[in-house]
Amino acid sequence: MTDKFELSVISAESKVFEGEVESVLVPGMVGDFLVLSNHAPCISSIRPGFLEFSEGSSSKQRYFVSGGIIEVINNTVSLLVDLAIIGDKVVKEDIYTLISEIDEKLAIPDITSKDDLGLRKNDLEEALKQV
Amino acid sequence: MPSLKDLKIRIDSVKSTRKITKAMQMVAAAKLRKAQEAAERGRPYAEKMRVIVSNLASSVKNVTGENNFLGDGIDSKKFLLIVATAERGLCGGFNSSIVKLAKSRIAELTSQNKEIKILTIGKKGREQLNREFESLFVDHFDLSDEKTITIETARKISKNLISRFEKGEYQVAEIFYNKFASVISQIPSSYKLLPVSFNEEEAGADSISFNFEPDEDEILKEIIPKSIATSIYSVLQENAASEQGSRMAAMDNATRNAGEMIDKLTIDFNRSRQAAITNELIEIISGAEAL
Repeated sequence: MTDKFELSVISAESKVFEGEVESVLVPGMVGDFLVLSNHAPCISSIRPGFLEFSEGSSSKQRYFVSGGIIEVINNTVSLLVDLAIIGDKVVKEDIYTLISEIDEKLAIPDITSKDDLGLRKNDLEEALKQV
Repeated sequence: MPSLKDLKIRIDSVKSTRKITKAMQMVAAAKLRKAQEAAERGRPYAEKMRVIVSNLASSVKNVTGENNFLGDGIDSKKFLLIVATAERGLCGGFNSSIVKLAKSRIAELTSQNKEIKILTIGKKGREQLNREFESLFVDHFDLSDEKTITIETARKISKNLISRFEKGEYQVAEIFYNKFASVISQIPSSYKLLPVSFNEEEAGADSISFNFEPDEDEILKEIIPKSIATSIYSVLQENAASEQGSRMAAMDNATRNAGEMIDKLTIDFNRSRQAAITNELIEIISGAEAL
Protein backbone atom coordinates (compact mmCIF):
# COMPACT_ATOMS: atom_id res chain seq x y z
CA MET A 1 0.00 0.00 0.00
CA THR A 2 1.61 3.19 -1.14
CA ASP A 3 0.74 6.64 0.11
CA LYS A 4 -1.66 8.70 -1.90
CA PHE A 5 -1.44 12.31 -2.99
CA GLU A 6 -3.66 14.93 -4.57
CA LEU A 7 -3.76 15.14 -8.32
CA SER A 8 -5.67 17.69 -10.33
CA VAL A 9 -5.69 17.80 -14.10
CA ILE A 10 -7.01 21.15 -15.25
CA SER A 11 -7.56 22.40 -18.76
CA ALA A 12 -8.30 26.03 -19.58
CA GLU A 13 -11.95 25.32 -20.04
CA SER A 14 -12.70 22.85 -17.27
CA LYS A 15 -11.41 20.58 -14.56
CA VAL A 16 -10.60 17.23 -16.10
CA PHE A 17 -9.73 15.19 -13.05
CA GLU A 18 -9.37 15.76 -9.36
CA GLY A 19 -8.71 13.15 -6.72
CA GLU A 20 -6.24 11.09 -4.76
CA VAL A 21 -3.86 8.90 -6.66
CA GLU A 22 -0.94 6.63 -5.93
CA SER A 23 1.23 7.45 -8.91
CA VAL A 24 1.30 9.53 -12.07
CA LEU A 25 3.33 8.84 -15.16
CA VAL A 26 3.98 12.13 -16.91
CA PRO A 27 5.30 12.67 -20.44
CA GLY A 28 7.87 15.30 -19.48
CA MET A 29 9.62 17.48 -22.03
CA VAL A 30 12.92 15.65 -21.57
CA GLY A 31 11.46 12.22 -20.90
CA ASP A 32 8.69 10.39 -19.11
CA PHE A 33 8.81 10.46 -15.37
CA LEU A 34 6.86 8.91 -12.55
CA VAL A 35 5.61 10.93 -9.62
CA LEU A 36 4.93 9.19 -6.33
CA SER A 37 3.98 10.72 -3.03
CA ASN A 38 6.56 12.93 -1.30
CA HIS A 39 8.07 13.88 -4.62
CA ALA A 40 10.41 16.87 -4.48
CA PRO A 41 8.87 20.16 -5.58
CA CYS A 42 9.26 20.61 -9.30
CA ILE A 43 7.89 22.42 -12.29
CA SER A 44 8.19 20.88 -15.71
CA SER A 45 6.72 21.28 -19.13
CA ILE A 46 4.94 18.40 -20.77
CA ARG A 47 5.11 17.17 -24.32
CA PRO A 48 2.14 15.63 -26.13
CA GLY A 49 1.64 12.06 -25.05
CA PHE A 50 -0.14 9.83 -22.60
CA LEU A 51 -0.66 10.60 -18.97
CA GLU A 52 -1.21 7.59 -16.74
CA PHE A 53 -2.27 7.55 -13.14
CA SER A 54 -3.66 4.94 -10.79
CA GLU A 55 -6.09 5.64 -8.00
CA GLY A 56 -5.52 2.22 -6.49
CA SER A 57 -3.67 -0.93 -7.37
CA SER A 58 -6.36 -2.03 -9.77
CA SER A 59 -7.65 1.04 -11.51
CA LYS A 60 -5.47 2.75 -14.03
CA GLN A 61 -6.53 5.77 -16.05
CA ARG A 62 -5.04 7.05 -19.24
CA TYR A 63 -5.41 10.48 -20.73
CA PHE A 64 -4.01 11.88 -23.91
CA VAL A 65 -2.60 15.35 -23.29
CA SER A 66 -1.38 17.73 -25.95
CA GLY A 67 1.21 19.47 -23.85
CA GLY A 68 1.11 21.67 -20.79
CA ILE A 69 2.85 22.16 -17.53
CA ILE A 70 3.12 20.25 -14.26
CA GLU A 71 3.73 21.54 -10.78
CA VAL A 72 4.54 19.24 -7.88
CA ILE A 73 4.48 20.77 -4.43
CA ASN A 74 3.74 19.40 -0.94
CA ASN A 75 2.16 16.23 -2.22
CA THR A 76 -0.12 18.15 -4.52
CA VAL A 77 0.33 17.64 -8.21
CA SER A 78 -1.28 20.11 -10.56
CA LEU A 79 -1.26 19.54 -14.28
CA LEU A 80 -2.24 22.41 -16.52
CA VAL A 81 -2.96 20.92 -19.90
CA ASP A 82 -3.96 22.42 -23.23
CA LEU A 83 -6.17 19.53 -24.10
CA ALA A 84 -6.94 16.27 -22.35
CA ILE A 85 -8.90 13.36 -23.73
CA ILE A 86 -9.66 10.19 -21.83
CA GLY A 87 -7.47 7.41 -23.17
CA ASP A 88 -10.24 5.28 -24.64
CA LYS A 89 -11.81 8.18 -26.39
CA VAL A 90 -8.71 9.34 -28.19
CA VAL A 91 -9.26 8.98 -31.85
CA LYS A 92 -6.53 9.21 -34.37
CA GLU A 93 -8.30 12.17 -35.96
CA ASP A 94 -7.63 14.29 -32.88
CA ILE A 95 -3.93 13.69 -33.14
CA TYR A 96 -3.96 14.14 -36.88
CA THR A 97 -5.55 17.53 -36.37
CA LEU A 98 -2.76 18.52 -33.99
CA ILE A 99 -0.14 17.30 -36.44
CA SER A 100 -1.67 19.20 -39.31
CA GLU A 101 -1.72 22.33 -37.14
CA ILE A 102 2.01 21.95 -36.69
CA ASP A 103 2.48 21.32 -40.39
CA GLU A 104 0.68 24.57 -41.06
CA LYS A 105 3.06 26.39 -38.78
CA LEU A 106 6.07 24.72 -40.38
CA ALA A 107 4.85 25.96 -43.73
CA ILE A 108 5.35 29.55 -42.62
CA PRO A 109 8.81 30.41 -43.96
CA ASP A 110 10.30 32.66 -41.29
CA ILE A 111 9.13 30.96 -38.14
CA THR A 112 11.75 30.78 -35.42
CA SER A 113 10.84 27.66 -33.49
CA LYS A 114 11.10 25.13 -36.29
CA ASP A 115 13.13 22.68 -34.25
CA ASP A 116 10.65 22.74 -31.40
CA LEU A 117 7.78 22.14 -33.74
CA GLY A 118 9.59 19.29 -35.42
CA LEU A 119 10.16 17.62 -32.08
CA ARG A 120 6.56 18.10 -31.11
CA LYS A 121 5.46 16.53 -34.35
CA ASN A 122 7.63 13.52 -33.60
CA ASP A 123 6.02 13.25 -30.18
CA LEU A 124 2.59 13.29 -31.69
CA GLU A 125 3.50 10.67 -34.22
CA GLU A 126 4.87 8.58 -31.41
CA ALA A 127 1.62 8.96 -29.52
CA LEU A 128 -0.27 8.02 -32.61
CA LYS A 129 1.43 4.64 -32.61
CA GLN A 130 0.27 4.01 -29.08
CA VAL A 131 -3.40 4.58 -29.83
CA MET B 1 -54.53 66.45 -29.43
CA PRO B 2 -53.76 63.26 -31.34
CA SER B 3 -56.74 61.39 -32.63
CA LEU B 4 -57.93 58.12 -31.14
CA LYS B 5 -56.49 56.21 -34.02
CA ASP B 6 -53.06 57.81 -33.59
CA LEU B 7 -53.04 56.90 -29.93
CA LYS B 8 -54.05 53.34 -30.66
CA ILE B 9 -51.22 52.98 -33.14
CA ARG B 10 -48.71 54.40 -30.69
CA ILE B 11 -49.87 52.11 -27.89
CA ASP B 12 -49.51 49.10 -30.17
CA SER B 13 -46.04 50.11 -31.26
CA VAL B 14 -44.85 50.65 -27.69
CA LYS B 15 -46.35 47.30 -26.75
CA SER B 16 -44.39 45.50 -29.44
CA THR B 17 -41.22 47.33 -28.38
CA ARG B 18 -41.85 46.14 -24.86
CA LYS B 19 -42.17 42.59 -26.11
CA ILE B 20 -38.82 42.85 -27.84
CA THR B 21 -37.00 44.33 -24.87
CA LYS B 22 -38.56 41.75 -22.58
CA ALA B 23 -37.38 38.96 -24.86
CA MET B 24 -33.89 40.47 -25.08
CA GLN B 25 -33.76 40.70 -21.31
CA MET B 26 -34.64 37.05 -20.93
CA VAL B 27 -32.14 35.98 -23.56
CA ALA B 28 -29.45 38.05 -21.83
CA ALA B 29 -30.31 36.43 -18.51
CA ALA B 30 -29.87 32.95 -19.97
CA LYS B 31 -26.62 33.93 -21.70
CA LEU B 32 -25.37 35.56 -18.52
CA ARG B 33 -25.81 32.35 -16.60
CA LYS B 34 -23.90 30.46 -19.26
CA ALA B 35 -21.12 33.03 -19.36
CA GLN B 36 -20.80 32.96 -15.60
CA GLU B 37 -20.57 29.19 -15.56
CA ALA B 38 -17.89 29.23 -18.23
CA ALA B 39 -15.93 31.83 -16.28
CA GLU B 40 -16.21 29.71 -13.17
CA ARG B 41 -14.91 26.63 -14.97
CA GLY B 42 -11.90 28.48 -16.28
CA ARG B 43 -10.94 29.93 -12.93
CA PRO B 44 -8.87 27.07 -11.41
CA TYR B 45 -6.61 26.99 -14.46
CA ALA B 46 -6.07 30.74 -14.43
CA GLU B 47 -5.31 30.79 -10.71
CA LYS B 48 -2.87 27.92 -10.89
CA MET B 49 -1.21 29.47 -13.91
CA ARG B 50 -0.64 32.71 -12.02
CA VAL B 51 0.90 30.87 -9.09
CA ILE B 52 3.23 28.87 -11.32
CA VAL B 53 4.34 31.94 -13.26
CA SER B 54 5.01 33.80 -10.04
CA ASN B 55 6.99 30.86 -8.67
CA LEU B 56 8.91 30.64 -11.88
CA ALA B 57 9.57 34.34 -12.15
CA SER B 58 10.83 34.63 -8.61
CA SER B 59 13.34 31.86 -9.22
CA VAL B 60 14.54 33.25 -12.53
CA LYS B 61 16.94 35.72 -11.02
CA ASN B 62 18.98 37.22 -13.77
CA VAL B 63 17.01 37.70 -16.89
CA THR B 64 18.67 39.47 -19.74
CA GLY B 65 18.03 40.08 -23.39
CA GLU B 66 15.80 42.43 -25.29
CA ASN B 67 12.79 40.19 -25.65
CA ASN B 68 12.26 40.04 -22.00
CA PHE B 69 8.74 39.21 -20.93
CA LEU B 70 9.40 39.87 -17.28
CA GLY B 71 9.70 43.22 -15.60
CA ASP B 72 7.70 46.14 -14.37
CA GLY B 73 7.74 48.22 -17.55
CA ILE B 74 8.12 51.48 -15.65
CA ASP B 75 10.53 53.20 -18.02
CA SER B 76 8.86 51.93 -21.16
CA LYS B 77 8.10 54.28 -24.00
CA LYS B 78 5.88 52.25 -26.28
CA PHE B 79 2.43 51.27 -25.13
CA LEU B 80 -0.13 49.00 -26.69
CA LEU B 81 -3.66 49.49 -25.42
CA ILE B 82 -6.04 46.64 -26.05
CA VAL B 83 -9.65 47.73 -25.90
CA ALA B 84 -11.96 44.75 -25.46
CA THR B 85 -15.60 45.60 -26.04
CA ALA B 86 -18.71 43.87 -27.28
CA GLU B 87 -19.79 43.12 -30.83
CA ARG B 88 -23.29 44.34 -30.17
CA GLY B 89 -24.87 47.41 -28.71
CA LEU B 90 -28.06 47.79 -26.68
CA CYS B 91 -26.27 46.96 -23.48
CA GLY B 92 -26.42 50.19 -21.57
CA GLY B 93 -23.16 51.90 -20.84
CA PHE B 94 -21.11 48.74 -21.26
CA ASN B 95 -19.10 49.74 -24.32
CA SER B 96 -18.80 53.44 -23.63
CA SER B 97 -17.57 52.91 -20.08
CA ILE B 98 -14.66 50.83 -21.38
CA VAL B 99 -13.92 53.34 -24.12
CA LYS B 100 -14.06 56.19 -21.61
CA LEU B 101 -11.49 54.48 -19.41
CA ALA B 102 -9.25 53.78 -22.39
CA LYS B 103 -9.54 57.39 -23.55
CA SER B 104 -8.50 58.73 -20.18
CA ARG B 105 -5.49 56.40 -20.24
CA ILE B 106 -4.61 57.58 -23.74
CA ALA B 107 -4.77 61.20 -22.58
CA GLU B 108 -2.57 60.38 -19.60
CA LEU B 109 0.02 58.58 -21.72
CA THR B 110 -0.02 61.31 -24.36
CA SER B 111 0.77 63.91 -21.73
CA GLN B 112 3.79 61.79 -20.76
CA ASN B 113 4.94 61.73 -24.39
CA LYS B 114 4.57 57.98 -24.73
CA GLU B 115 4.09 56.24 -28.00
CA ILE B 116 0.63 54.66 -28.14
CA LYS B 117 -0.83 51.96 -30.31
CA ILE B 118 -4.34 50.61 -30.08
CA LEU B 119 -5.62 47.12 -30.74
CA THR B 120 -9.34 46.56 -30.56
CA ILE B 121 -11.38 43.48 -29.82
CA GLY B 122 -15.05 43.86 -30.62
CA LYS B 123 -16.34 46.33 -33.15
CA LYS B 124 -18.31 48.60 -30.83
CA GLY B 125 -15.21 49.93 -29.17
CA ARG B 126 -13.51 50.38 -32.49
CA GLU B 127 -16.40 52.43 -33.82
CA GLN B 128 -16.25 54.72 -30.84
CA LEU B 129 -12.48 55.20 -31.00
CA ASN B 130 -12.35 55.44 -34.76
CA ARG B 131 -13.09 59.17 -34.96
CA GLU B 132 -10.29 60.36 -32.74
CA PHE B 133 -7.62 57.70 -32.83
CA GLU B 134 -7.81 55.99 -36.18
CA SER B 135 -4.12 56.65 -36.85
CA LEU B 136 -3.16 54.65 -33.74
CA PHE B 137 -4.97 51.45 -34.70
CA VAL B 138 -2.73 48.48 -35.39
CA ASP B 139 -5.11 45.54 -35.50
CA HIS B 140 -8.62 44.39 -34.80
CA PHE B 141 -10.19 41.13 -33.70
CA ASP B 142 -13.76 40.44 -34.64
CA LEU B 143 -15.55 38.03 -32.33
CA SER B 144 -18.98 38.27 -33.90
CA ASP B 145 -18.71 34.74 -35.31
CA GLU B 146 -18.02 33.24 -31.91
CA LYS B 147 -21.00 32.30 -29.85
CA THR B 148 -18.93 31.60 -26.79
CA ILE B 149 -15.39 32.59 -26.00
CA THR B 150 -13.00 29.72 -26.53
CA ILE B 151 -9.42 29.36 -25.39
CA GLU B 152 -8.50 29.08 -29.08
CA THR B 153 -9.57 32.67 -29.68
CA ALA B 154 -7.52 33.79 -26.70
CA ARG B 155 -4.52 31.87 -28.02
CA LYS B 156 -4.86 33.54 -31.40
CA ILE B 157 -4.89 36.98 -29.84
CA SER B 158 -2.01 36.12 -27.53
CA LYS B 159 0.07 34.87 -30.46
CA ASN B 160 -0.51 38.11 -32.30
CA LEU B 161 0.47 40.12 -29.23
CA ILE B 162 3.62 38.14 -28.61
CA SER B 163 4.87 38.41 -32.17
CA ARG B 164 4.34 42.17 -32.01
CA PHE B 165 6.17 42.27 -28.71
CA GLU B 166 9.08 40.31 -30.10
CA LYS B 167 9.31 42.68 -33.06
CA GLY B 168 9.63 45.49 -30.57
CA GLU B 169 6.42 47.22 -31.58
CA TYR B 170 5.59 47.89 -27.96
CA GLN B 171 6.95 47.34 -24.49
CA VAL B 172 3.85 47.43 -22.34
CA ALA B 173 0.46 45.98 -23.14
CA GLU B 174 -2.62 46.92 -21.20
CA ILE B 175 -6.05 45.50 -21.76
CA PHE B 176 -9.28 47.39 -21.02
CA TYR B 177 -12.45 45.54 -20.16
CA ASN B 178 -15.37 45.45 -17.78
CA LYS B 179 -14.83 43.51 -14.62
CA PHE B 180 -17.84 41.51 -13.57
CA ALA B 181 -18.62 42.56 -10.00
CA SER B 182 -22.23 41.44 -9.93
CA VAL B 183 -25.21 41.12 -12.23
CA ILE B 184 -26.02 44.79 -11.80
CA SER B 185 -22.56 46.22 -11.45
CA GLN B 186 -19.65 46.05 -13.87
CA ILE B 187 -16.47 47.96 -13.25
CA PRO B 188 -14.41 49.20 -16.19
CA SER B 189 -10.87 48.07 -15.42
CA SER B 190 -7.48 47.71 -17.00
CA TYR B 191 -4.98 44.92 -16.64
CA LYS B 192 -1.33 44.84 -17.60
CA LEU B 193 -0.69 41.83 -19.80
CA LEU B 194 2.92 42.47 -20.68
CA PRO B 195 5.53 42.56 -19.39
CA VAL B 196 4.58 39.87 -16.92
CA SER B 197 5.04 41.22 -13.46
CA PHE B 198 4.83 39.08 -10.41
CA ASN B 199 4.52 39.59 -6.73
CA GLU B 200 6.20 37.43 -4.19
CA GLU B 201 3.00 37.02 -2.24
CA GLU B 202 1.25 35.22 -5.02
CA ALA B 203 4.10 32.79 -5.29
CA GLY B 204 3.42 31.96 -1.66
CA ALA B 205 4.63 28.54 -0.60
CA ASP B 206 7.42 30.24 1.35
CA SER B 207 9.74 30.32 -1.64
CA ILE B 208 10.22 26.60 -1.96
CA SER B 209 13.06 25.82 -4.31
CA PHE B 210 11.70 23.94 -7.26
CA ASN B 211 13.41 21.58 -9.58
CA PHE B 212 12.91 22.77 -13.10
CA GLU B 213 12.82 20.54 -16.09
CA PRO B 214 14.24 21.31 -18.66
CA ASP B 215 15.37 24.67 -17.13
CA GLU B 216 13.77 27.93 -16.07
CA ASP B 217 14.29 29.73 -19.36
CA GLU B 218 12.86 26.92 -21.42
CA ILE B 219 9.80 26.59 -19.24
CA LEU B 220 9.37 30.32 -19.18
CA LYS B 221 9.40 30.38 -22.96
CA GLU B 222 6.70 27.72 -22.92
CA ILE B 223 4.59 29.17 -20.23
CA ILE B 224 4.53 32.91 -20.96
CA PRO B 225 2.43 32.60 -24.13
CA LYS B 226 0.12 30.24 -22.27
CA SER B 227 -0.19 32.53 -19.34
CA ILE B 228 -0.98 35.48 -21.59
CA ALA B 229 -3.57 33.45 -23.46
CA THR B 230 -5.09 32.47 -20.14
CA SER B 231 -5.22 36.08 -18.99
CA ILE B 232 -6.87 37.13 -22.22
CA TYR B 233 -9.28 34.24 -21.94
CA SER B 234 -10.39 35.20 -18.47
CA VAL B 235 -10.62 38.88 -19.41
CA LEU B 236 -12.81 38.03 -22.39
CA GLN B 237 -14.98 35.82 -20.25
CA GLU B 238 -15.44 38.51 -17.63
CA ASN B 239 -16.26 40.88 -20.43
CA ALA B 240 -18.83 38.50 -21.90
CA ALA B 241 -20.53 38.04 -18.55
CA SER B 242 -20.48 41.79 -17.94
CA GLU B 243 -21.95 42.45 -21.36
CA GLN B 244 -24.88 40.16 -20.72
CA GLY B 245 -25.38 41.56 -17.22
CA SER B 246 -25.31 45.07 -18.55
CA ARG B 247 -27.70 44.22 -21.35
CA MET B 248 -30.04 42.51 -18.93
CA ALA B 249 -30.17 45.61 -16.74
CA ALA B 250 -30.59 47.92 -19.71
CA MET B 251 -33.39 45.82 -21.19
CA ASP B 252 -35.09 45.53 -17.82
CA ASN B 253 -35.09 49.30 -17.64
CA ALA B 254 -36.40 49.61 -21.17
CA THR B 255 -39.19 47.15 -20.44
CA ARG B 256 -40.21 49.11 -17.39
CA ASN B 257 -40.12 52.40 -19.25
CA ALA B 258 -42.24 50.94 -22.02
CA GLY B 259 -44.74 49.76 -19.41
CA GLU B 260 -44.95 53.24 -17.94
CA MET B 261 -45.41 54.74 -21.37
CA ILE B 262 -48.18 52.31 -22.17
CA ASP B 263 -49.99 53.25 -18.96
CA LYS B 264 -49.70 56.91 -19.77
CA LEU B 265 -50.84 56.49 -23.34
CA THR B 266 -53.75 54.28 -22.26
CA ILE B 267 -54.93 57.00 -19.89
CA ASP B 268 -54.65 59.55 -22.70
CA PHE B 269 -56.53 57.20 -24.97
CA ASN B 270 -59.35 56.63 -22.48
CA ARG B 271 -59.61 60.35 -21.77
CA SER B 272 -59.92 61.27 -25.42
CA ARG B 273 -62.43 58.49 -25.96
CA GLN B 274 -64.49 59.80 -23.04
CA ALA B 275 -64.15 63.34 -24.37
CA ALA B 276 -65.35 62.21 -27.77
CA ILE B 277 -68.38 60.45 -26.25
CA THR B 278 -69.25 63.47 -24.10
CA ASN B 279 -68.90 65.68 -27.11
CA GLU B 280 -71.26 63.54 -29.12
CA LEU B 281 -73.80 63.48 -26.30
CA ILE B 282 -73.68 67.26 -25.96
CA GLU B 283 -74.22 67.58 -29.70
CA ILE B 284 -77.23 65.25 -29.60
CA ILE B 285 -78.74 66.98 -26.58
CA SER B 286 -78.23 70.47 -27.92
CA GLY B 287 -79.61 69.28 -31.25
CA ALA B 288 -82.71 67.94 -29.53
CA GLU B 289 -83.17 71.16 -27.54
CA ALA B 290 -83.00 73.25 -30.68
CA LEU B 291 -86.01 71.46 -32.17
